[in-house]
Amino acid sequence: MFRLQGSKVLAVDMTGDAVKAKNGSMVAYDGQMAFKKMSGGGEGLRGMVTRRLTGEQMTVMEVKGHGTCWFADRASEINLVGLQGDKLYVESSNFLAADAGLRTGTEFTGLRGASQGNGLFTTTVEGHGQAAIMSDGPAVVLRVSARYPLTVDPGAYVAHQGNLRQSFQSGVTFRTLLGEGGGEAFQIRFEGDGLVYVQPSERNTIAGDV
Amino acid sequence: MAFRELNPKMVEATVAPGQRLFSQRGAMLAYRGEVSFTPDLRGGQGGVMSMIGRRVANEDTPLMTVEGSGTVLFGYGGHHVQVIQLAGDTLYVEADRLLAFEGTLEQGTVFLGAQGGVMGMVRGQVSGQGLFTTSLKGHGAVAVMAHGGVIEIPVTPQRPVHVDPQAYVAHHGEVRNKLSTALGWRDMVGRGSGEAFQLELSGSGAVYVQASEEKL
Repeated sequence: MFRLQGSKVLAVDMTGDAVKAKNGSMVAYDGQMAFKKMSGGGEGLRGMVTRRLTGEQMTVMEVKGHGTCWFADRASEINLVGLQGDKLYVESSNFLAADAGLRTGTEFTGLRGASQGNGLFTTTVEGHGQAAIMSDGPAVVLRVSARYPLTVDPGAYVAHQGNLRQSFQSGVTFRTLLGEGGGEAFQIRFEGDGLVYVQPSERNTIAGDV
Repeated sequence: MAFRELNPKMVEATVAPGQRLFSQRGAMLAYRGEVSFTPDLRGGQGGVMSMIGRRVANEDTPLMTVEGSGTVLFGYGGHHVQVIQLAGDTLYVEADRLLAFEGTLEQGTVFLGAQGGVMGMVRGQVSGQGLFTTSLKGHGAVAVMAHGGVIEIPVTPQRPVHVDPQAYVAHHGEVRNKLSTALGWRDMVGRGSGEAFQLELSGSGAVYVQASEEKL
């Protein structure tokens, strides 16, 4: 059972079940808890190979026990995401915790990943349950529908869920090449039906510089 | 209540004649009325001996005395501020986390080795507290700084609480703490969960935990 205490601390009440959380993000707990390191990028041998190849270095621990466990990381804002069988794509740096019943994996993002300054791979969370993602500043959830596609700054993108196609857009013109760009040379465009989480802050990206 | 929280990062303190406040030097943002700020060479209360004690203990964060009549705004480094009300009990807090406190409180320095012997000292090192910490006792309010928001977790005899040493801010009440380790073979081979050391707090009182693992 995930609940937010304030906007920066996640409290999880556990009765013998387990959660996956970012390594080292526990700030306090009561009752009995056991911490075990897991590895991101999916379970098993395949996951291990993917991790080696992709460099998606998400280190996750499994927390199991009875009681309440509090999680927080570097005073980031926390957003709860409920998943009903759909898939959440989140940057590994923005992932905080998820029910242990949810499957986590790694997926290729292509050029979009590179433009976000996060590498070419992203983390996926799939199944039924709750997940918590972090953002620098309170995130807004933007709905994308067939009639309303959405374009976001790669540096401000946090996560998305649902049935979305993403394409990489570049607004590079000859002005950009002359160093007169507006600082918004690259964008990600989402089409389809789903939700996109955007933070009020921009990571350092290549796109932000041109 | 001497402190009023204006926003999560600023507090407003009311000073009246005869009521002193202590605050971290340089933490004043603005003031109204006739208020004077005097650097407190002794770094707080007590005699010369407690000054030496604090010097030795490296708990001599420069303080200033705030006197007069008016209101003063305090804030420091953009850190979140939490006001803790004390009613006769003792608050243990690291000196550099103290933003301001009422002069009615009695300030002291505690040797961590006194609480749990050698393990107490080890605990101080692990949590970055050093060998000494500051105690405040009596009736009054304290404004404590933390990175990110602070949550208060009650500690009851039936419910001991474990805290990440880096996220620990302060505690009050009759609370014993000890360092518990969950070191296993996994940590030795570099596959630890990042939660090898924990502070175990038991007794009755409350512990304040910040939403971050960063020191101030």
